[in-house]
Amino acid sequence: MSRHTLRVDWPACKAHGLCAEILPEVVSLDPWGYPIVHEPVTGEVLEMARSAVKACPTLALRLTRPPPRH
Amino acid sequence: MTASLVAAGVVGSKSTSFLNGPELWFANRGTGFVLLLLLTFSTMLGVLATARVSPRLWPRMLSQGLHRNVSMLAVTFLAAHVSTAVADTFVDIRWYDAFVPFAGNYMPLWLGLGSLALDLLIAITVTSLLRHRMSHRPWRAIHVMAYGAWALGLLHGLQMGTDAGTAWGAALNYGCIATVLLAVLVRLGLLVRPKLVTS
Amino acid sequence: MSADTTVIPITTADTTVIPITTAPQPIVRNEVGLDPVVSHGPALLAGIAQGPGLAAHRRRLGRAPTPSADELVKLARDVDLRGRGGAGFPAAIKLASAHRRKAVVVVNAAEGEPASRKDAALMSLAPHVVLDGAAAVAHALGTREAHIVVPSELPSIRVGVQTALRERVEAGERVKWQIHDAAPRFVAGQAQAVLQLLAGKENLPVTAWQPEAVSGHRGRPTLLSNAETFAHLGHLARVGFDGYAAHGTAAEPGTTLLTLRGDGWDPQVREVAFGTLLADVLSEAEMAQPLLLGGYHGTWLKPAQLQGLRVSRIDIAAAGATLGAGVLLPLAQGWCPLVRTEALVDYLAGQSARRCGPCMNGLPALAGALGDLVHRGGPVAPVEELCGLVKGRGACAHPDGTARLVTSMLTRFPEEVDLHSLGECRGGRGEVFA
Repeated sequence: MSRHTLRVDWPACKAHGLCAEILPEVVSLDPWGYPIVHEPVTGEVLEMARSAVKACPTLALRLTRPPPRH
Repeated sequence: MTASLVAAGVVGSKSTSFLNGPELWFANRGTGFVLLLLLTFSTMLGVLATARVSPRLWPRMLSQGLHRNVSMLAVTFLAAHVSTAVADTFVDIRWYDAFVPFAGNYMPLWLGLGSLALDLLIAITVTSLLRHRMSHRPWRAIHVMAYGAWALGLLHGLQMGTDAGTAWGAALNYGCIATVLLAVLVRLGLLVRPKLVTS
Repeated sequence: MSADTTVIPITTADTTVIPITTAPQPIVRNEVGLDPVVSHGPALLAGIAQGPGLAAHRRRLGRAPTPSADELVKLARDVDLRGRGGAGFPAAIKLASAHRRKAVVVVNAAEGEPASRKDAALMSLAPHVVLDGAAAVAHALGTREAHIVVPSELPSIRVGVQTALRERVEAGERVKWQIHDAAPRFVAGQAQAVLQLLAGKENLPVTAWQPEAVSGHRGRPTLLSNAETFAHLGHLARVGFDGYAAHGTAAEPGTTLLTLRGDGWDPQVREVAFGTLLADVLSEAEMAQPLLLGGYHGTWLKPAQLQGLRVSRIDIAAAGATLGAGVLLPLAQGWCPLVRTEALVDYLAGQSARRCGPCMNGLPALAGALGDLVHRGGPVAPVEELCGLVKGRGACAHPDGTARLVTSMLTRFPEEVDLHSLGECRGGRGEVFA
């Protein structure tokens, strides 16, 4: 199961907004232009999520697997 | 023009005529101007990408994609501009003069500015291709030198370019300066109100 | 009070006023009453009457304990020891994660919560209780590198810690200590901010991709915990499960330090066993007032909820609150909890590190919307929306804590909220004091 999480490096994020353009299924923007990640990234949008990570001008996005809960 | 050069005894008959002739020179001048336009356009796009202009009118991905494509095109024209200069045997520009500034025989200062611009652009290109393998701050520090590369290239052309003195040449140069200046003013929020202030 | 005025100690049956020289200017306007009145306690604060010196400490307790990692983890798990920095993370899990090569121990005495004084009390009066705990943990993790972070706005703490460390070095302790000064702001005590300070960078939070117990200072496993947590670990290692469980309840053995900021100017620090009735900690008058529990990132409780409530993580969670950093802030008589909350949120918004967009923009907007609601009859919806917007979207939990405070205010005092939307207020408007 390819269940990833799109995580934001908040100090690096400068609200350029490309992630929301590329991945509107998962990311929307708050009133100040910062991303709100709605849900985990699954199969179909994984490729687009990878594009979003690559496209971020400040490299503020990471795709991670959620850690196992203890 | 060729006739006057023959009369001055500059054009010899020993070297091959193509490498000595005007075609490479024209190509060098042409690629130089196109390069300046492309670099100006790319710089403008790069500056505006960080300015807070509404994405409804102009999607951010479009800016980023265009910036990348224009920059890659500029790099090819840069390669052509440098090769034609080196290949041209009419003036003595050795291959390493393209990379080592101020050591040339022919107009070393102004040529050197061009070499410096080339060095910066090489660094910028390489780091941008490897952007994801390096951390953001050093990448950005190098990338910001694009302003310098653009300015050096413009100055190199102004002083060294054969066509800089013509009316259209001057107009192009001033137009490029104005374009980048305007973009910077927009970026600083002095012309267009920015959408939000970030850290 | 001038910068170097010290309070003359007044010793009564079981309390001692401890002088702490104040910094020349309070950093926050609500920092009146900096000198805590610390009471003698059953475990951590058992020896404060003998003074903070190492000799007296060793006479009373002997050498620092030297547990193995497994022993310490088991003890911490058996008593369910939680971190005392505010988040309440299980200490056993942190210890187990950090038990790898080249670990680092970091004692966080920075006390980010402005209203809290327990760390200051510990480091002034019983520094070796904390440092023995840190030494025990260092021994268990097989490391000699230890750091301690002190608040820069209370310079006497640093002096006290330096003295204590010097005594230990002279006594031959093998742990290598380094002191660091935290910046005078709320978020300076946050874990990632502390790690940044240790790395020589600005004392502000950054995003953590791994817990610091796994990869922290210089990529090494870092056991970073609150000063009081280390004190508990040391005490636990020394007296074992039975000794530790001599106080508290079966479900929650042990004690915890509370800071009470009640009617008087001076904050009180008391060591209280788990299971103690809140009515035995607070005065009658204080029990009749709404209580802000946990600190500025805490939650409100109504007077009705306080009756029969015990100092117990479980009980308090059932009441919809958390113990947090152990600060009890009863609302002063005749004041309005909404006005108080709004002033706190104003302060908290100003304490943003301004590194993360949602916090830097969202908290001032929240303060504005809350101000509208409290003072100008504005709507509730924007306040709720902003609370939702800032949660979980930042490098640290500062926006989360602030949102928690506001949400608890809305939940506990719906009648006051309704009144304010009509432009009325039952209580007074007043200057905020800690």
